Amino acid sequence: MSHTEDGEPLLAVDNLRTVFHSDREEIRAVDGVSFEIARGETLGIVGESGSGKSVTARSIMGLVESPGEIREESSIRLDGRELTALSEKEYRSVRGGDIAMVFQDPLSSLNPVYTVGNQIIEALELHRDMEGAEAKSEAIELLRAVGIPDAARRVDEFPHEFSGGMRQRAVIAMALACDPDLLICDEPTTALDVTIQAQILDLLQEIQTERDIGIMFITHDMGVIAEVADRVAVMYAGEVVEQAPVKELFANPHHPYTQGLLQSIPGRNPSTDRLPTIEGDVPTPHESASFCRFVSRCPKGFDECERVHPAHVEVGDSADHTAACLLYPEDMPTDDTVTQHEANADQTGAEADEALSADDWPAAKRNAGEDTSPVGSDNSDARADGGHGHSAGDTGGHSEGGDPDE
Amino acid sequence: MMETELTEDIDQPLRDRLKAHPGPALLWGAGLCLLLLLEGPTYLDGLLGAIGFGLGLLPGAPGAEAFASASAFFSELPHLLSRELIPNRGYYDGSAWQGTFLGLEPKYAWLIRFLLVYVYVAVLLGWLWYGYVTFRRHYRAADWTPTDDVIDRLRSHYWGLFGLAVVVFFITMAAFAPVVGPTTAEENIEGPYSHDMQYYDADTETVETITIGEANLGSASRGSGDSNVGIWSYDDFGRFHPVGTLVSGKDLFTFLAFGARVSLFIGLGSMAIAGFIATTLALVTAYYKGVTDLIVVLTSDSVQAMPALLLVILATVVFKNHWIAELYNGAMLFILLFALIRWPGLWRAVRGPALQVGEQEWVDAAKSYGQRPTVIMRKHMAPYILGYLLVYASLTLGGVIISVSALSFLGLGITAPTPEWGRAINIGQSYIASQSWHISLIPGILITLVVTGFNALSDGIRDAIDPQSEGAEGGATGAAAGGGGG
Repeated sequence: MSHTEDGEPLLAVDNLRTVFHSDREEIRAVDGVSFEIARGETLGIVGESGSGKSVTARSIMGLVESPGEIREESSIRLDGRELTALSEKEYRSVRGGDIAMVFQDPLSSLNPVYTVGNQIIEALELHRDMEGAEAKSEAIELLRAVGIPDAARRVDEFPHEFSGGMRQRAVIAMALACDPDLLICDEPTTALDVTIQAQILDLLQEIQTERDIGIMFITHDMGVIAEVADRVAVMYAGEVVEQAPVKELFANPHHPYTQGLLQSIPGRNPSTDRLPTIEGDVPTPHESASFCRFVSRCPKGFDECERVHPAHVEVGDSADHTAACLLYPEDMPTDDTVTQHEANADQTGAEADEALSADDWPAAKRNAGEDTSPVGSDNSDARADGGHGHSAGDTGGHSEGGDPDE
Repeated sequence: MMETELTEDIDQPLRDRLKAHPGPALLWGAGLCLLLLLEGPTYLDGLLGAIGFGLGLLPGAPGAEAFASASAFFSELPHLLSRELIPNRGYYDGSAWQGTFLGLEPKYAWLIRFLLVYVYVAVLLGWLWYGYVTFRRHYRAADWTPTDDVIDRLRSHYWGLFGLAVVVFFITMAAFAPVVGPTTAEENIEGPYSHDMQYYDADTETVETITIGEANLGSASRGSGDSNVGIWSYDDFGRFHPVGTLVSGKDLFTFLAFGARVSLFIGLGSMAIAGFIATTLALVTAYYKGVTDLIVVLTSDSVQAMPALLLVILATVVFKNHWIAELYNGAMLFILLFALIRWPGLWRAVRGPALQVGEQEWVDAAKSYGQRPTVIMRKHMAPYILGYLLVYASLTLGGVIISVSALSFLGLGITAPTPEWGRAINIGQSYIASQSWHISLIPGILITLVVTGFNALSDGIRDAIDPQSEGAEGGATGAAAGGGGG
């Protein structure tokens, strides 16, 4: 599903920079991230641990705590309303009311000393002015909606009496209690086993269809992404390095990092003896990026990568497929692309990121892309097998459905 | 159909469940009423007295008098545990004891009253426990809660139970001080020359009347010669002294019983205030972190850097003639001082658990659905640190009791005539090597016992609330397990 052409998207994140101040330096956990989510759309965010996925989610929720700080130039708009300017009190009504979040560990996101119902009712009381019996029957209704059998009885049970999958369903019920427009799922299936994972993913999709909500789905599991996402943003060291519709991304990955990620999925490389890996760790970004942060691990890196920060350029066949790599646009000689990226980087960070701003993005008209032909031929280096078996994630079990459908 | 029935069953409020099955609750309620009625006047007396005392704190409060007189009225009414019902004072007229309970020897009369108080307290506590069990069995909707495990663990923790027993003993002694003593503080300690007593003079074979003050002169324990009234003995005037007399001839047991009141009052009072400050700050610092945390760290470090004893001594001098120092012979001042000095220790103890629970995902989850910070702190964080606070507060309480005694021992604490254990040790100091050793030793042993009791109780509570602390070490999830137990 693609973004809506008419009017504002549900969520528009533009040049989000979240930094954490430590004694000696500043850690740029999220450094200039921009994306949009439309109603009814699921944006998958993938990346290794430490790539800034969760901080992005927390920034949107307004839950970045001291010593963290969202930089002034950042913009997060929900239905056209700027969230970064809100006071803490105003933000509280947004949290839960407009945006809700499902956390990774379903055990610890429910307080073990209160019954499951108690916690759902707490959310109902806050945002929907319900009380007593009314709130309770609504809580039972919600539990039923997320597929908990015998909800009327289970509403009074404690979290420890629920199984892992049930707990995550209860957490989702809690998140849905306030009827949000946007649901942020921070690795909601990581702690669950594969069959339960598949059930939860199905449930999320069901809820999305029913309520027409936008979902931001964070995971490091490419298999899960293939299953749930409509579009995918690949994050690395606080930046989005590639963004594409899910089919396009799996079929035609452009950024070397994305290629590496897809290569290291066991199911996609049945013939190899050893699974290819990306050597090394995600670096912790301390200073403003004047180079490609992936260069130390990049198999295709060259000298220029050390001094030029790549901007997003349109790649591939799809209209909204972009990657931030000096190798692209692919129909230009590398020297020219470097010059072009350099020119982009010379502008201030904020301006450079305008290339991806909310207004321009759907139209796929970017500074970088304008003077090149948008119709790119396949990079000769792109993986030949990129187009096959893209749904065979490392978790296997739930990906039987094949193509990530729209 | 089945499901709706179940729902109704669980949805019933407690009132309806009671209505549906009133038997056990009525039985328990009747038993409790009986127990309370036996001692009704004492409770009303205590309640009104406390209100009167509270009003008395406000300068020129007119209501205080009314409450005091009402309290006096109730204390006159007959009840089970009273000196009037089981008197232990009388005189031996050569053939039989006059004026004592059933004509028994004073020591047996006193012992009966003393034991009756403890039996009453034991029955009352047992009945409350039975009430909890009844509620658990017949009326509670959930068939299990995490609290059940905590209680079960405490029940099998013998060291903790020992502590509980000692603490209950001590609290009972303080609460029933006017009844458990062989005489009262008013007659024997505060105004001995305004009260008379009768004794039988064997030489003249007549019953004489004498002021208690004069009698005390004859019952003094001064170490040398025959001037000693030791443990479990009578003085020349037929008065029984369970643990002997003081140098002034006043009854040591009465002194200790009323002294327990002061110690307990200061201990509980200062711990309540310090605990409140510590909890509030721990929650606020764990929730907001950053600058708030830093400010509290600096403040608490500054407070802890001050030499506590010197600070207290300084304050007692500075406030010497201040009205606050006159409340309960300085006890109120000590409550405030010890609350001020001890909160940093408590705050440090609960800060770790508070930070841990603040990192729990359910706190994030509560934030993510827009819960207010105050509610998150109170509902989702506080339950996890209260257990820890209880542990450290009961440990610190022992320390406060020792500190107050130490100050009294130095002559700086609770001033005469209000009894205080430390002062008894001080008074008996020079007689410790003589036959009047009991003056220092008995209060000393009691202080040790009570402090040990509080520490044992806190040990038991800690093991009870944190299942991982037994055997294996607590581990990082200690805070989560703290209140959760599962």
